[in-house]
Amino acid sequence: MDSLHGILHGLAIASTPTHLLYTLIGVFIGTMISHLPGIGPSAGIALLIPVTFGMDPITALMMLTGIYYGCMYGGAVTAILLNTPGDAAAVMTVLDGYPLARKGRAAATLAIAAVSSFIAGMIGVTALSFVAVPLAAVALHFGPTEYFALILFALTTVSALTGNSLAKGMIATLIGLALATIGIDLQSGVPRFTMGFTELQDRVNFLVVVVGLFAISEVSRMVEGTMGGTLHTVKVTGKLWFTRAEWKRARPAALRGTVVGFLCGAAPGLGGTLAAMLSYVLEKKISKHPEEFGHGAIEGVAAPEAATNADSCGAFVHLLALGVPGSGATAVLMGAFIMYGIQPGPMLFSSQPDLVWGLIASMYVGNIMLLVLNLPLVGLLSRILYVPPGVLLCVVLGIATAGVYSFNNDVFDLYMALGFGVIGYAFRKLDIPKAPLLFGLILGHTLEQSFRQALTLSNSDPRVFLQSPIAAGLLVCSAISVIASVWTNRKPSKAFQEAEARIEETKHVDAERLVEDAR
Amino acid sequence: MNTKKPDVWLALCVIAGALVYLYSDLHMPVMRSGDPLGPRAFPALIGGGLLFAGALLLVETYRKARAQAASRVQTEVAPRAPAEIRKGRHQTVVLLAMVVWTALYYTAFEPVGYLVSTAVFLGGLLSYFHRGHYRTNLLVALGFVVIVDLVFSRLLNVPLPAGILSL
Repeated sequence: MDSLHGILHGLAIASTPTHLLYTLIGVFIGTMISHLPGIGPSAGIALLIPVTFGMDPITALMMLTGIYYGCMYGGAVTAILLNTPGDAAAVMTVLDGYPLARKGRAAATLAIAAVSSFIAGMIGVTALSFVAVPLAAVALHFGPTEYFALILFALTTVSALTGNSLAKGMIATLIGLALATIGIDLQSGVPRFTMGFTELQDRVNFLVVVVGLFAISEVSRMVEGTMGGTLHTVKVTGKLWFTRAEWKRARPAALRGTVVGFLCGAAPGLGGTLAAMLSYVLEKKISKHPEEFGHGAIEGVAAPEAATNADSCGAFVHLLALGVPGSGATAVLMGAFIMYGIQPGPMLFSSQPDLVWGLIASMYVGNIMLLVLNLPLVGLLSRILYVPPGVLLCVVLGIATAGVYSFNNDVFDLYMALGFGVIGYAFRKLDIPKAPLLFGLILGHTLEQSFRQALTLSNSDPRVFLQSPIAAGLLVCSAISVIASVWTNRKPSKAFQEAEARIEETKHVDAERLVEDAR
Repeated sequence: MNTKKPDVWLALCVIAGALVYLYSDLHMPVMRSGDPLGPRAFPALIGGGLLFAGALLLVETYRKARAQAASRVQTEVAPRAPAEIRKGRHQTVVLLAMVVWTALYYTAFEPVGYLVSTAVFLGGLLSYFHRGHYRTNLLVALGFVVIVDLVFSRLLNVPLPAGILSL
């Protein structure tokens, strides 16, 4: 099936009443989650996977995917109104979004962010439809050697480019890989690292790790927020639309952001934060008014917002075509695919055309729903920001517990989730990125199987990995990503540091103002 | 992180963990039926990688500390105010108490049942983190458990443990 026929076929599937309803539920929940400080798309998807157990896989995946891009879409709202990014990728939007809101342009800035996200989403999904099919066709010729090199490349880029330290990225990835080795070895039947627990023989439950690492550990952040009490929201006033002059400046920025975002998304491991950062830096470099950046330049909102949304589409390219996730959230989605018994990868386009094209088409539908939902409802949705963190953390813990228990009806999973919650807290305090651990856990099994199969086929000759040009090329790319990471000394860009400093600084100013107001 | 000390401890913990992992790997029974590598080879590579990553973190930390010492303008770390230290300690105690409270909840989850244990668990948390709002807290705790129980048992056909309510 070619791409155009695929899209039309997918639209027919995505426009059935059930699928439309669940796409709407997904994007709505995603938008709500993005408004809750501390809960990102990974935690949101993980918390809701158990709710989808009884559903048909296509419907369930449409809903979970809707949560993902709904989250990316709505992350700007807290960045603009609260000076706190709703998800990590919205961190650059803070730089100009919040100053614009303080100048009384909150409504117009939200509208620009929504329209830029919509444009990026629509272009991104179209690009995904046309890029994924040829890529999947190429990947059909991959053997275990190429798969080993491809997964190794994904793991090294995610280790090298996530966080501020190569060593910490490597540690997280290797812990994930070590967790993936727990359980009965498929070839020999030997139980590995189970420590006598029969519950671990069937491998570490992916959902338990994700809920612990991303949802339960985030509760600690909410506890700190509750006790710090530094949130200060800008009210949305005025007409929810932008001026012609603002749009004239934002439109090209949004288009450039879309290109940057899609390319970043299509490279495994780069992620939305880097896409937003690169697009912001690009806009500042080519702008005729670079001095306005950081003080309320509309391009500084349009470009990163477009980039993060295009990035989420780009991340689906290799998830669907190669079976390799591109970010933490797509790794969670890949876990959901596997839980439904579907292995993402090149065969998906021929074995499950209804699912893959239905999913892609649901993204078009979901993007339209998001634009229609977000603009008129922004005032209502921003009220979620006022949910007391004390109540929110209880709800998160309650949902996480019911979800984890329902997976196996076993309390052991609950203890494991709590343990991973503590590990997630330690990761945050020690500045260790969590996404590489997830990559290692989800890809570890395939990496090991490919490694063993490749060496079995070559009579244990390790040169087999250099004899295939694709595998050799990917291994060289892996080495380059590591060397480049060491070479650049892992300093976050000036713009990124500026964004983080701004968030901290404004929080202090707001806290002082609140104290003054109280006096 | 302002200080490099936690990174040194992290590196040492990773190295120790890698050694334990490699030791367990070495003591694994080997059965090679048609698989020349066996179940030990891949974990051995991971263990080796963890040792390397731990050592790399030590090098990174040492390099950062040296660069800081060599820079002319010393980055003076402002001493933390006593109030800030007290707040930090208080947060740690609260988080530890939360972990213990959650572990107790999980222990009671099956014998006591979902409805009762969750209502008590949430009630306890809400009375601390959302102090003074008794009516709201009661409504949230009871409303939440009833809704979740109905969703899981009726909609998803996954009954949560009834515990003492089944008697």
